[in-house]
Formats: sequence, structure tokens, C-alpha cells
Amino acid sequence: MSDLEKKSIDPATIKMLKKAQADGCETIFDRAETMKPCPIGAEGSCCKNCAMGPCRVPAPKKKGETAAEKTKRTGLCGATAETISARNFARMVAAGTAAHSDHARGISEVFLATAKGEVPGFQLKDEQKLYQVAMDFGVEIGDRSIKDIAVDVGHKAVAEFGRQEGEPLFIKRAPLKRQEIWRKLGITPRGIDREVVELMHRTHMGVDQDYRSLLMAAARCALADGWGGSMISTELQDILFGNPVPVFGQINLGVLKKDEVNVVIHGHEPLLPEIMADVVHDPDIQQAAKAVGAKGVNLAGMCCSANEILMRHGIPVAGNFLQQELAIVTGAVDAMVVDVQCEMQSLAQVAKCYHTKLITTSAKAKIDGATHIEFEEHNAPNVAKKILMEGIQNFKNRKPNVEIPSDTADQVVGFSHETINYLLGGVFRASYRPLNDNIINGRIRGIAGVVGCNNARVTHDDPNLTLIKELIKNDVIVLVTGCSAMACGKAGLLTPEAARQYAGAGLASVCEAVGIPPVLHMGSCVDNSRILMAATAVVKDGGLGDDISDLPAAGAALEWMSEKAVAIGHYFVASGVFTVFGTTWPTTGSEEVTKLLFEEFENTVKGKWGFEPDPIKAAKLMIEHIDKKRKALGIDKARERVLFDMAKRRELDAA
Amino acid sequence: MADQFEEKVTFDGKKVKVLGPTFEDGKPETPINWRQKMRNRDEMLAYLKTGERYWFSEEWFGSEKRKTKA
Repeated sequence: MSDLEKKSIDPATIKMLKKAQADGCETIFDRAETMKPCPIGAEGSCCKNCAMGPCRVPAPKKKGETAAEKTKRTGLCGATAETISARNFARMVAAGTAAHSDHARGISEVFLATAKGEVPGFQLKDEQKLYQVAMDFGVEIGDRSIKDIAVDVGHKAVAEFGRQEGEPLFIKRAPLKRQEIWRKLGITPRGIDREVVELMHRTHMGVDQDYRSLLMAAARCALADGWGGSMISTELQDILFGNPVPVFGQINLGVLKKDEVNVVIHGHEPLLPEIMADVVHDPDIQQAAKAVGAKGVNLAGMCCSANEILMRHGIPVAGNFLQQELAIVTGAVDAMVVDVQCEMQSLAQVAKCYHTKLITTSAKAKIDGATHIEFEEHNAPNVAKKILMEGIQNFKNRKPNVEIPSDTADQVVGFSHETINYLLGGVFRASYRPLNDNIINGRIRGIAGVVGCNNARVTHDDPNLTLIKELIKNDVIVLVTGCSAMACGKAGLLTPEAARQYAGAGLASVCEAVGIPPVLHMGSCVDNSRILMAATAVVKDGGLGDDISDLPAAGAALEWMSEKAVAIGHYFVASGVFTVFGTTWPTTGSEEVTKLLFEEFENTVKGKWGFEPDPIKAAKLMIEHIDKKRKALGIDKARERVLFDMAKRRELDAA
Repeated sequence: MADQFEEKVTFDGKKVKVLGPTFEDGKPETPINWRQKMRNRDEMLAYLKTGERYWFSEEWFGSEKRKTKA
């Protein structure tokens, strides 16, 4: 195996890495070789929260640190390794929550403007989802107009961010027992922004200096993400653009076309991508493309923007996070359009090696060296046309070194929790009952959520795919989002046929009966809220306990990279889920903090963290946890099936 | 589309042919837009109260509405 082949298990990625090398273009994979992670920062032992530092308090290399040695391991202010580690972790949660929630705020504002009819190009496409959210928010439906209902929903959604007291409106969606646990622990969020601000305050120099208190506050903040900001994003996006339903699509760099203008949409917010998906069919745009010698305009997605328009339109996906530079390396991307989150600054440098026009569109996210065309929701179709025209005009500047790998894979996506509910029972019997029954009878061993990013410190896509294949082989149905979902798409796990090829006999039989893949693509990273909803539906349907923590379920993000992943992980843990991360763990500088997260949290929030970079071992941990929960539920052993005749039934009635 | 059969063994050891998975040729061209089946507000609200009963119905017996609490 060559060094390049150790960087990814995706053939298209390896081909483009070879091309980048031949073209003299540096990528993140090269930088991962030349720059190693800072060992003190990696374990969370560096405090730079004031100008007396940065203070470094790394864990001792040898075991057996004495109490006296430990006492010395403090910052100038006396902050212990525990406080420093917990503060760093908490700040990651705050940043991740802020990212998802600011995304949600933008969606809420556009939603409200759409409801009022102020933004051309946007409309409320999913009336039923509007009623669903209206009922959640306590908005009267009756005979009121859609506009009036939507305006009320919009106002309520916007108010969630600045809420100062009470509880976020979506909290009551959680299982009742879960809500009680949060209230008893005092970690039910009050508002979304408030929890982020308070956590940043607590982690300021000289404020909260008890690691237990800090990590509970981080849980409260994370819950404001999962059951707050992220859930608002998902729900309002569904009303605006449609609740995802099963749709066919393709993925990998091979979706780019040599004879068409390729415009890649990369980022997270679906507002502009949705308008572009509409405007690209405009005859003026297609004619302009033909005028420059192209057959048309080919729109493709990258990262979670891709997931959004894939789930709702079947628009092809060029790749996941670590493929963003490589799409440009094909030499066939005429414009790469970015908004917020996970866009590498190096895109500007890579674009210079080729002809690609890098276009930033968010007022919040500019990149030095990129062209900025700001997305204005009040003028969205015109902005979208302008961006497409930039790509079209750039088509003629392509250099001769165009090489598009032929690799693509088919996938079926669009498994919102509403769609899963429908698929399991139809319109008249929509239900999670068949899933619960098959978990109880053992055909399905449990449920896993495998989410998160790519990380250049590990072989691209390998940990996620190895883990997921091991889980489905052991009859664990897997729910995926984000870049992990894209890895599954590329590997062919998102087709119904994959059940027979990869899943254990029990899971395969259920998937074949329903006609679903063994791995269900539930959307982008804000759509992890859909997994919370699916888990809640399983609880509420009955037979598998009263709380998410009772379920035979576990979560993982083995290739995590961003602060958003830590926020997601922490809200899953705080919702009662055992969650395993890989690659690296950010609190290893403090045994106490790590022990609290990995063990003691199970006594309070009933969920806990785990760390295991080896995907097979991670799968084993998750399956052991699932089996532990099955045992607690009394469904770990097959029971003898007894056919009751009428006499036996009479005996029962008499008793 | 021809049916495909698989040979399996019954509980009493007999070999039988059973209907195997059948897939239509080609690839799906349109989404399965099941939400269009609800045509008006009444139908949509009715579906929410039954299909999404976990949150919107008062009349069913799931884990939180069982007769005898766990």
C-alpha cells in the first residue's frame, strides 16, 4: 500500500491526491504530514483564558503522580488541570452550540420573512409540518390562514433564542422521564443564547472553578443545541423546503461533468442552495452555459449543504469534508460557493492552482482571496443567478489538466423520522411499532447513530465505515448524518440492496420486508435532532423502557473534528445516550474530568462518553452497551412462544 | 419482472422454494412523496393525531400512557 493509499479508502480521493501531487498543489493531507497536533492542546491541558498564560499543565507521562506533584500542576491563578480541562471542553460545547444555533437564527428570520411574504423565491412548502410545529409551539390552527399561523410560528421561533426563563418549547417533545431527569439536575436550558453566554462567562478567568459544575453547565448548553437550535433549524427548514422523503441520488467526485459548468455548493445553510437548485433550471442560465460551449450547468453539493439539497431534490453530492479541496483539484469546478462552517481557508490557495472561482456568500464568513457575493434573502433569486453566471463565465478559463474520477455511487436518502414512521406502517398505521417489535424479538439487536466529520489525522472514511459495517453485521440498524452519511453513500451502504450484502440475517430480513437500507441517511449535522426524535418515538411507542437511556442504543463519531461534534456528542450524552468518539479525546489531561464524563455521568444524566479510535473495538463497546440495555429490559434471551387456546385464555381472564 | 425464488428448509426439514426479494429494474426517478397523500388541513391534522400520536394524541397506550405505570 502506498503512502497515498493510507490517507483514504475512497478511490476517487486517492486519484485526486495523486493528481494534486503531480500538479504541485498542497492539500490538507500534506499538511497533516508536516504539522503534528500540539500534544498539550490535544489533551486539553493548555489554558489561554487570560494574559498571565498560556499556562500548560500536561498530564504526567508516567503513572503514579503524587499528591504534591499534582498540586503543582496548576496555572498561575491556581486553576487545576481539572478546571482547565473542563473549561476547554465546555468552550468547545459553547462554540458548537453557537454555530448550530446561529444557523437556526438565520433560518428563523428567513422563515418569518417568508411567512410575511417579504422574500421572493421562498415559500412554505410543507403545510403539514407547519401544523406540526404550530401544535408544538401552542399556536392556534383552527380556520386561520396559513400565513397567520406561520407568522405566529416564526415569532415564537425567533423568541426562542433570546428566551431568558422557562424552557425551550421543543423540550416537551422529549420523553417525560427525560424531562424529569433534566429538571432534577437543573440542566433544562432556559434559552438558547443564554446558555451559550453563561457558559462563556463561567469559563472566563476566575469564575466557575469546579469541573463537575462546569460539565453540567456544558450539558445544559448542549441541550439548548440539540433540543433547541438544531431542532429549530431542522423543523423550519422542513416547512420551508419540504420534509425529506425517500429520494434517489448519486455521490462522489464522479458526479462532476467535463462538458458542463460545474458549480459546487459547500457549507451548511440551505437557503441559498435551495434557491440555486431552483434557478439553475432558468432558461437564461442554461442558454448562457451553452453560449460558452458547455452543455448546461451541473449543480453539485459538498458537506452538509449537499445533504440538505440531496435529501430534498436528489442533487448529486461531490463529496464530504476532506474532499472539498479535491473537487477543485479535478480542474473541472468552475465555481465553489461557500457559506458557513467547515470551509477550509486553503480552498483559496487550491483554487489558485486551477481556475476555480471561490465565492463566499455569508456576511459572517469571508475568506481572504475569495470573491464575495453576499446572499441577501430579499433578493435571493438574483443573487443565485449572479453566482451561477460567475461559474458560467469561468468555464472558458479551464486549464488543460482536467481529470474527473469516474467513481460515483447510488444512494437512497431522505429518512426523516416522519418518513421512517410512515414507511413502517403507511398512512393509516404509521408507527414505530414494527421497529420496536423487531428489537424486542431480537431480529434487530439495537440502534446506533453514527455521525460527524472527517479528520485528516486518520484514514479518510475508514473508521466510520469499518464501524458501521461491523454494527450492521451484528444486526444493529444505523442512523447516519453529516459527513459520516456521505462516507456510507460512497461505500454503497445507503441502498436497500446493501442489507443483504452487509447486514446480519435478522436486520437484513427487516430491511428487505420494509424495503429500506440497513443504514438510514437522516440529513445534515443539524438534523441530528431527527435522531433525537426517532429515539423519542421508539421510547414513547412502548416496550423498550421509559427513557432514551433505557433503549438498546448507542452513538458514535469516530472521525470527529469540529467543536459542533462535541456539542452534538454532549447533547446525546445528556439525553441518555452512550456516545463513543474516536481519533483523539480532548480531556485526557485530567483523569478526573475524563472519569466524570466516561463513568460518573451515567449516574446522573444516565448517558456517558467513551473514547476508542479503533473502529472494531468501538463497535464492540457499542454492542456491549446495547446488550447491557437489552438485558436490563429483559429482552436478552429468546422466550418460548406459547400458543394460547381458549381454555388457557379463560384461565387468564379468571385470574 | 420475473419472480425470483430461493430454496429454504422448513421447520420439519423439507426443502421448499420461497419467493425471494424482487426489485424493479432501473433506478427510481421520482421521490416517494408520501406527504402528498394528505390533501387538506383536516387530513393533515388527522394524520398528525394518529401517525404522530406520540406527541399529539390523547388516546393511545405507549410507554407514557400505559394503564399501569412502570
